[in-house]
Amino acid sequence: MDATLVIWNKHMTKFLRSTEELLGLMLQSVLWVVLFGVGMRGMIGEVDGSDYMSYILPGIIALSALGGAVGGGMVLLDERLRGILKEYLAAPIPRLSILLGSATSTATKALIQALIMLVVGVLMGARLAPNPFGWLASLLLLAVFAVGFSGMALAVAAVSRSIAGYHGMIFLFNLPLLFASNALYPLAVLPGWMLTIVLLNPTTYLIDAVRGLAFGAPFTLPLPLSVAVVALFAVACTWLALSVFRRSIRG
Amino acid sequence: MTDLAIVARGLRKHYGLVIAVDGIDLAVPRGTIYALLGPNGAGKTTTINMLTTLASPTAGEAAVCGYDVVRQADRVRACIGVTFQDIVLDSDLTGREVLDIHGRLYRQPAALRRQRIAELVDLVQLGEAIDRRVRTYSGGMKRRLELARGLMTDPQVLFLDEPTQGLDPQNRVGIWSYIRALNRERGLTLLLTTHYMDEAEALASRVGIVDRGRLVAEGAPGDLVATLGADVIRVRGSGNQAHFVSQVAALPFVARVETDVEAAMVLVYVDSGSRRLVEVVGLAGGNGFVVEDVTVARPSLGDVFLHHTGRALRD
Ligand SMILES: Nc1ncnc2c1ncn2[C@@H]1O[C@H](COP(=O)(O)OP(=O)(O)OP(=O)(O)O)[C@@H](O)[C@H]1O
Ligand SMILES: [Mg+2]
Repeated sequence: MDATLVIWNKHMTKFLRSTEELLGLMLQSVLWVVLFGVGMRGMIGEVDGSDYMSYILPGIIALSALGGAVGGGMVLLDERLRGILKEYLAAPIPRLSILLGSATSTATKALIQALIMLVVGVLMGARLAPNPFGWLASLLLLAVFAVGFSGMALAVAAVSRSIAGYHGMIFLFNLPLLFASNALYPLAVLPGWMLTIVLLNPTTYLIDAVRGLAFGAPFTLPLPLSVAVVALFAVACTWLALSVFRRSIRG
Repeated sequence: MTDLAIVARGLRKHYGLVIAVDGIDLAVPRGTIYALLGPNGAGKTTTINMLTTLASPTAGEAAVCGYDVVRQADRVRACIGVTFQDIVLDSDLTGREVLDIHGRLYRQPAALRRQRIAELVDLVQLGEAIDRRVRTYSGGMKRRLELARGLMTDPQVLFLDEPTQGLDPQNRVGIWSYIRALNRERGLTLLLTTHYMDEAEALASRVGIVDRGRLVAEGAPGDLVATLGADVIRVRGSGNQAHFVSQVAALPFVARVETDVEAAMVLVYVDSGSRRLVEVVGLAGGNGFVVEDVTVARPSLGDVFLHHTGRALRD
């Protein structure tokens, strides 16, 4: 447990110190909301009774959580490729704490990015539901989801041979997770085959839940189901990261 | 606990079809500086990786500080310090943070960490630079910081994988003097690897010569060299080398003749180089072997390597 905290702390120190990464993160959030949200709003107006900004903000937030997770995975990849992992491996600490330290720092970064996005979105005119418990529940759900994303990014980071390879693999997940979901369009307008794919995507459940909880949109999927899917996603990805990581450090 | 800091029996490591370490036996008494000397790819790093629990042996066993490296890996980890072959540092952290984080990983209390850092900054002479980002350090400063990190937890055994690789002569001698001081003043056991024979000669009380995953010779550097003969006459030339070799070998005072094919060199081990020089070189004339260059010297560990492997060890 101690070692997990030490590694988390070190990753956060490095993160807060890398001005480029921080700046890029902020700008990315703002650009997404401004370019995408504002542009589309001019064209679309309202979906399911919400204004389009409120409608797509949960999707953009989920996407930015993924961006944060990708950045967090990079830290593990970087430490692996540069050999810094060996310092941990030679220390009398549980192997698990190395992964947990990386996972918690990754999820923290993903959550920070999601929060920035939320604030920018609200400033740009997204309307939050009046119930603060809904906000809190959304954040909690986002955190769980971020853990899942982190697990995925860390699993990829544990096996990638290069930074380019890592980004290639991540891109492969990234695109369908956003576009094969209800992030940009409501489930009702999708043709049957696409609906099937979208319903297999855990992002869909997160977005539906966050829309309902934080922005007061009607739930199109049962909330307990959404919560269960998101939790399952997090557990499955963490397990994946763990088994891949275990294998990767076996010298 | 035994008085052996490091023991290995039949240690092997295979990577697929590659045999990186092919059965190595070690017995390193406490308080020794032991050097593994060998060319690139000999298996030095792989041996260190197994002894420091980073790699698991394919076969054989090893114990460090009296603990088995596989079954009691955490005990081993707690009693050793390591520096790796390549520089392994977070360039965004300051030197102090690097040491502090290392201490925290080993659960050292804050007061102890502060005290250790102060002592180590003194030892490796990092001075003010300790509070600068590592990215602003020179190669020599990075190596010194890594040495300090390896010592942070006051280990009983310190492993150094090529501690002076890439350093200029001044920095090399600096690192040597820290290593000697640690050994002399604290009785620290050190196992280091190197492919510089002068480094092994200058530092080690025992040397193990590694080639292709095997320990081909072992002993005190002086003893290893002494078995070859008192002096070596190195004759470089072109022409009928074989004939020259057979003629020289027949001389009564010649202990051994070896050839370094790549360098077109014949090495003649004799009881006294200056007295026998003329006679040895004289045999070359008229036999189709033209002498280009002759030197007389004490044999070195490089000659020991050539003797045991038939190949020269080049830096
Ligand atoms: N992870 C690995 N996978 C496959 N082969 C490996 C691995 N690590 C080492 N080897 C091989 O094992 C052999 C020994 O390598 P090792 O790094 O131990 O040599 P070394 O003596 O440290 O060499 P150098 O002086 O270049 O550092 C080499 O042939 C190397 O290619
Ligand atoms: Mg090596």
